[in-house]
Amino acid sequence: MTDPKKDLLYRLADDQLILGHRNSEWNGLGPILEEDIAFSSMAQDKLGHALQLYSLLHELGEAEPDTVAFTRNAAQFHCSQLVELPIGDYAFSLMRHFLFDHAELLRFEALAASSYEPLAQVARKLKGELKYHVLHANTWIRQLGTSTEEALEKLQAALDLTLPYALGLFEKTEAEPAIIAEGLFIGEDVLRAQWLENISRVLNQTQLELPDLSAITPVGGGRHGEHTEFLQPLLDEMAEVFRLDPTADW
Amino acid sequence: MLSSLDPRIARLALPDTAPAPTPKAAFDQFETFEVFHQKKDGAAYTYVGPVHAPSADVAFLFAKEQYSRRFACTGMWVVPTSAINLTPYVGDQESVYDGVSAIVPTADAPAEPQEYAIFHLKKRGKAHTNVGLVRAASAADALYQAKLTFGEQRPVVNVWVLPWNEVLTLDPADRDIWLTTPEKKYRDAIAYKVQDRIERFKLETGTK
Repeated sequence: MTDPKKDLLYRLADDQLILGHRNSEWNGLGPILEEDIAFSSMAQDKLGHALQLYSLLHELGEAEPDTVAFTRNAAQFHCSQLVELPIGDYAFSLMRHFLFDHAELLRFEALAASSYEPLAQVARKLKGELKYHVLHANTWIRQLGTSTEEALEKLQAALDLTLPYALGLFEKTEAEPAIIAEGLFIGEDVLRAQWLENISRVLNQTQLELPDLSAITPVGGGRHGEHTEFLQPLLDEMAEVFRLDPTADW
Repeated sequence: MLSSLDPRIARLALPDTAPAPTPKAAFDQFETFEVFHQKKDGAAYTYVGPVHAPSADVAFLFAKEQYSRRFACTGMWVVPTSAINLTPYVGDQESVYDGVSAIVPTADAPAEPQEYAIFHLKKRGKAHTNVGLVRAASAADALYQAKLTFGEQRPVVNVWVLPWNEVLTLDPADRDIWLTTPEKKYRDAIAYKVQDRIERFKLETGTK
């Protein structure tokens, strides 16, 4: 892929679609009713974000949003491996939500000033939703990260497990120099530094410990179509109804 | 193992029958918090209902989900139920303030004055609505200060007095968390207009 706009949009949209779908798996199964509703609502927001971004891709000449979302195979997806991992227990899903949405809010805040005006408009409109997603994540990480031994053990294990994948969010593509040069986005390195500062500030208010990042190898590959064994089954399940009749008007 | 057409359920490998519920201690629920919302910029905050939550922060999240899912909202206040001081109810045409008089000073050193938010109920069945803040040394004094400031209003069938330092508010800079809420039409049943499609399907297939 050579067009820097498309490269950027595919990464953004695929992350949102896949994590939105993953998190929707908690619908009806959440730990308590109110939290179930909150988590499902945010999953729905993410699908909405994906739709807006796929619509921008469509304006740039790519296929219809539904076609792009439901007919590609795993190797054609540009999402990070973080978002495709199974939901695990609630501690895992909560930690992934915390690490992902902190990066995503910063992404959208930066994109609000993008030289690509249609994307800047979408970012300005949606960053409020992401602000709430981060508020939600911070609230639970603070609440549970200062609570019982069981909660601390589960969250720490989730943090240790998730962090290498979360660092994979900042994997660069060949288009990175052009994306920065054209003023589309601040770039992954700047984003990663801001993200680290923000998650550290919240984690410092808890009994959780951020592992030494220099000792961790980021899990990349996702931006280049290399995925875990979990993505293709997710895509098959997500597209099951769509593929029954791709021309149906919903 | 429980079989289900929902792959999410199938993955959970649940037993065929649910295990017997473990006995729970009485009154093990979370504390309750009361929620007030602001419909639009400059409008008075109005009571919308309670939530159960382990802390005020979590109560705010639940309040947002429960009470600001569908319509425009520009602000939300959350306060522990136990922090609310309430007066007795009076008749439909009367005012609570008719029975309120100045606090008689005691020999004790007066408490440091603090702010209290005052809420009026104009009519039974409506919602308590914020009329403003007063500074006072106690909740009882706040009610008297409220009488001096808002006492002309009638009827006032009930008054709530909230110590302002107990109220969790959102930074006005963050009110964009509600920016897109009015656009979420998929949350409204009315957005799903399918009757015409059903009629068309019946016509096309000759079914009744």
